[in-house]
Amino acid sequence: MNFTNSKLKLALLGVICGLVAVALAIFGNPANMAFCIACFIRDTAGALGMHQAEVVQYARPEVVGLLVGALLISVGTKEYKSTGGSSPMIRFVLGLCLMIGALIFLGCPLRLVIRMAAGDLNAYVALIGFILGIGTGVIFLRRGFSLGRAHETSKISGGVITILALGILALGAFTTLLKVSEKGPGSMHAPIILSLIGGMIFGAIAQKSRMCFAGSIRDVMLLKNFDLLSIIGGFFVVMLIYNLVTGNFVVGFNTPGIIAHSEHLWNILGMYVVGFAAVLAGGCPLRQVILAGQGSNDSAVTVIGMLVGGAICHNFGLASSGTAINPETKELVKGAVTTNGKIACLICIVALFIIALTCKREEKK
Amino acid sequence: MRKKELKLIVTFHTTADAMALEKAAKQEKLKGRLIPVPRELSSGCGMSWKSEIEDKEKLLAVMKETGIELEELHECMV
Repeated sequence: MNFTNSKLKLALLGVICGLVAVALAIFGNPANMAFCIACFIRDTAGALGMHQAEVVQYARPEVVGLLVGALLISVGTKEYKSTGGSSPMIRFVLGLCLMIGALIFLGCPLRLVIRMAAGDLNAYVALIGFILGIGTGVIFLRRGFSLGRAHETSKISGGVITILALGILALGAFTTLLKVSEKGPGSMHAPIILSLIGGMIFGAIAQKSRMCFAGSIRDVMLLKNFDLLSIIGGFFVVMLIYNLVTGNFVVGFNTPGIIAHSEHLWNILGMYVVGFAAVLAGGCPLRQVILAGQGSNDSAVTVIGMLVGGAICHNFGLASSGTAINPETKELVKGAVTTNGKIACLICIVALFIIALTCKREEKK
Repeated sequence: MRKKELKLIVTFHTTADAMALEKAAKQEKLKGRLIPVPRELSSGCGMSWKSEIEDKEKLLAVMKETGIELEELHECMV
């Protein structure tokens, strides 16, 4: 049966991904971080000791699952193809930007949707920035922006990132070499095996459906095509129902427990960076992981960029803090964007414009 | 649901090539439009050009003239 030939079936695939996220939240992942690529990669950077933020260190098996799921299904359907050579270092920088923008907002586009489904109005504000960022990217696509074509590489090269990820998983499961948070979001996680299976299911479906948060809006803007958006719709509906049923749906700003802040301008600019960078890189953080799994060396470099970006964000104090209740005084402490984070966000925007303006398709003389 | 018809689908190595063909085709008044690459043709998420099968030769001539490199040509139901 072909699952990708109608919007309804695509939405159904989004529903299954939503159920995976819900299950992982029920089994221990932070509720509103049920499935966030930026958070997971940042936690993994912490587990490897690349940053010392003690509350966000855990080698998330979901990331490994996504890579393995995409790899296995693409090998099974003969779609695995090891490719590379499309401006890898620029993609590395795009990976850095994706992570910095995401950690200023506090979440990748996947978590943006999860937060929207929980009634977090900050996420709706940030959505404006995400759409504007994608719109900016689309303008440059129309002007002929290109990172150049990828070529086929040695078969094994496309599988290296998945093998390395499996190595990290093994280190986490069988040794004490990796750092593990004792408190905070990093300490909240579903059992390893469930996270891994959840990631694999999510990864396989995302590969099959070409699920992409930036691509879905790009396709609407550029091609008036709503196929990819229908997957996100299915995902959103499941998360919304789950939040309504469990009483987690709270409409408002500055809601403790959601891990968000209400600095509107920076929510917008953070997601602007993510949307813009995602269009230039050809996919949101989730899509980059999936493409890396099915053999794209270029996307693998983008993922490594995100990993390094995660470390930079916490080493240099770029990541924002979320609104929370002080456990001792019981007072509401508003989340905030750091000055360093604001400067980094602006540098990212400048860098993205430079990349967008300078990388163009060569026209025939 | 709209009835599917047999169409010519051109895929490209880069999105920029697809956009360039759209521009060139418009100038030459060739019919057709950009669509997401049909899933059965590729697991990539790029764009492809959809047009009538009888326009194939004209399209190839435009691509040759403008230096737009194609990845693959397909005839499929979309």
